[in-house]
Amino acid sequence: MTSHASTSTSPVRRGAPGWLGRTGYVGLGGAVLIALLFGFVFVKGGYLLTVMQLAMIYGVFCVGLNFFMGYTGQASFGQNAFAAIGGYGSAILCVEYGLPPVLALLVAMAIAGVAAVVVGWPTLRLRGHYLAMATFALGLITYDVSVQWESLTKGYMGYAGIPPLGIGPFEVEDERAKLVCLMVILVFGLWVSGRLRNSRFGRALRAISTSEPGAAALGIRIPYYKLAAFVIAALYASVAGSLFAHVVGFISPEVFGLQMVVVTFTMLYVGGIGTVLGPAIGAIVASLLPEIVRSTGRFQDIAYALLLLGLLVYAPKGLSALSGLGRPRAAEPKPGS
Amino acid sequence: MPSLVELVQSLVNGVGIGLVYGLIAIGFCVIYNASGIVNFAQGVFVMLGGMFTHAMLIKLGWPLAVSALVSIVAVAGIGVLVQLAIVRPMWNRKAPLFAIILATLAVQLLIEQIVILTMGDQPRTYPDFTPGGPLKIGDIAISYQLFWILGCGALMVLLLTLFFNRTRAGRALRACSQNREAAALLGVPVDAMLMLSFALSAALGAAAGILITPTQYTAYGVGAPFGTNGFIAAIIGGFGSAPAALLGGVLLGVVQSGAIVVVGAGYKNVVALTILLVVLLFFPQGIFGGRGKKA
Repeated sequence: MTSHASTSTSPVRRGAPGWLGRTGYVGLGGAVLIALLFGFVFVKGGYLLTVMQLAMIYGVFCVGLNFFMGYTGQASFGQNAFAAIGGYGSAILCVEYGLPPVLALLVAMAIAGVAAVVVGWPTLRLRGHYLAMATFALGLITYDVSVQWESLTKGYMGYAGIPPLGIGPFEVEDERAKLVCLMVILVFGLWVSGRLRNSRFGRALRAISTSEPGAAALGIRIPYYKLAAFVIAALYASVAGSLFAHVVGFISPEVFGLQMVVVTFTMLYVGGIGTVLGPAIGAIVASLLPEIVRSTGRFQDIAYALLLLGLLVYAPKGLSALSGLGRPRAAEPKPGS
Repeated sequence: MPSLVELVQSLVNGVGIGLVYGLIAIGFCVIYNASGIVNFAQGVFVMLGGMFTHAMLIKLGWPLAVSALVSIVAVAGIGVLVQLAIVRPMWNRKAPLFAIILATLAVQLLIEQIVILTMGDQPRTYPDFTPGGPLKIGDIAISYQLFWILGCGALMVLLLTLFFNRTRAGRALRACSQNREAAALLGVPVDAMLMLSFALSAALGAAAGILITPTQYTAYGVGAPFGTNGFIAAIIGGFGSAPAALLGGVLLGVVQSGAIVVVGAGYKNVVALTILLVVLLFFPQGIFGGRGKKA
């Protein structure tokens, strides 16, 4: 276990999937575009601020989901369950018990983590479709419980009056300040994700995604690593749920429903699954897409579904693959090799 | 504590809805065995079956048998379309499993929205196939529609079993499910078989939707719950054979109806999903020992 430092500093090979699939001019252009976008949103303010805030929150969720689905190559259709734990945990702890928001967020995180261990341990023995369906069931069960357990969650009515984020007497109430705060949290989440990806731990995860027998032969304890990735994803999801509760001030079961699963999956695939920055880019792009097609009125959902299908069929590697377009096919990286 | 009559009545209702779950489950199995894909848009076929039949029966005034047949053929056509436009290109590009699942979810969203735009979002229903009823046995009421569901369900399972065992196409489909490469080497047109499996599966879903609509209602959103329950039934049955899937559906329907009486309607899905988890964890091959594939 002492070799962590030495192994994690090995240089990232050229052509290996790095921070943005492959860094290049496209990546740089993307960064400039995003910076311009944020500048525009800050100056313009108003509704776009809310859109971007939600994009940041979904970004945190997706960065976590990416651990499990991108790095480890497993499927979870039920991470919304942990977002619900985070959201409701924060809401109930703040409103009913008067905990400060940051403490509530941490306590909710701990609950979600324990829940992920308890639920994940038996479930993660499953693979492929069975794992997808079992996690899907977890999400649906959580949704139904959050609707039905009215004494705890207030059912369909939802939970209102959740205080904004803050430490001590200092509260983040201004919409622009909220966005900055969320951005900082997302960047921190990305930093953790990037560091872990190229650590011994992250390489073990990617080895599992390439070949489980191969990874096992290399001495990787597969159940342990899968569970760890699942729990990390759950922690990120819980934070995203708590952030939603504090930023919007209101949560209901619908927030953490099936739609969340579809939306976050879309973000992951749009941005590029398995890359570090992909989930965050996907969250921003996929949040802005509906705003662009909003002008088409009733056709909005149809346009959204068509866009998603087009992306899935014709660009299954997402936007982050754009940076690799100029390179010959032979340079295609073999993850984990 | 619910009375005995209530329990028996819920059992009867459960068998009815369970048979419908079973038919949807068979649809899942047909596609899964042929291709290894779980089509999450399966519930949409159920919804479309009911919607199309309603449109033809009520709005156009066509006779029931004609409406039902035309609906089934139309929905089978949509199934083929989904396979051709979405699944085949992804399949050929070796898209990851989850991308295909997500794509079928997007198909569901797409079709639901198109239905809202073209047919409206109001729930609708049409009368039982045979007027009159329900049949009373003591205090237990059995609607005539249940006998239609039973009869049609049994007939379809019989036809499917014959199809899979006796016809060339059916055997070719089974060959695909065992080993696609070997089947292709033996001259089975695997692509065409995939298309056939989608058509068959969509037709089964549509038939289920046509049968169940008179006992409740149909609207753009009924697909998702039917699809989920059908999939749970398929898991319980074990993806092996049509009768096992049908049995899985009946079991699920009965337990769900019982749960409504005992713990209330709100938790019926929680009970169903919990059964799913238990079956997945302890009987990954399905309760009825189906020839489940390795995941």
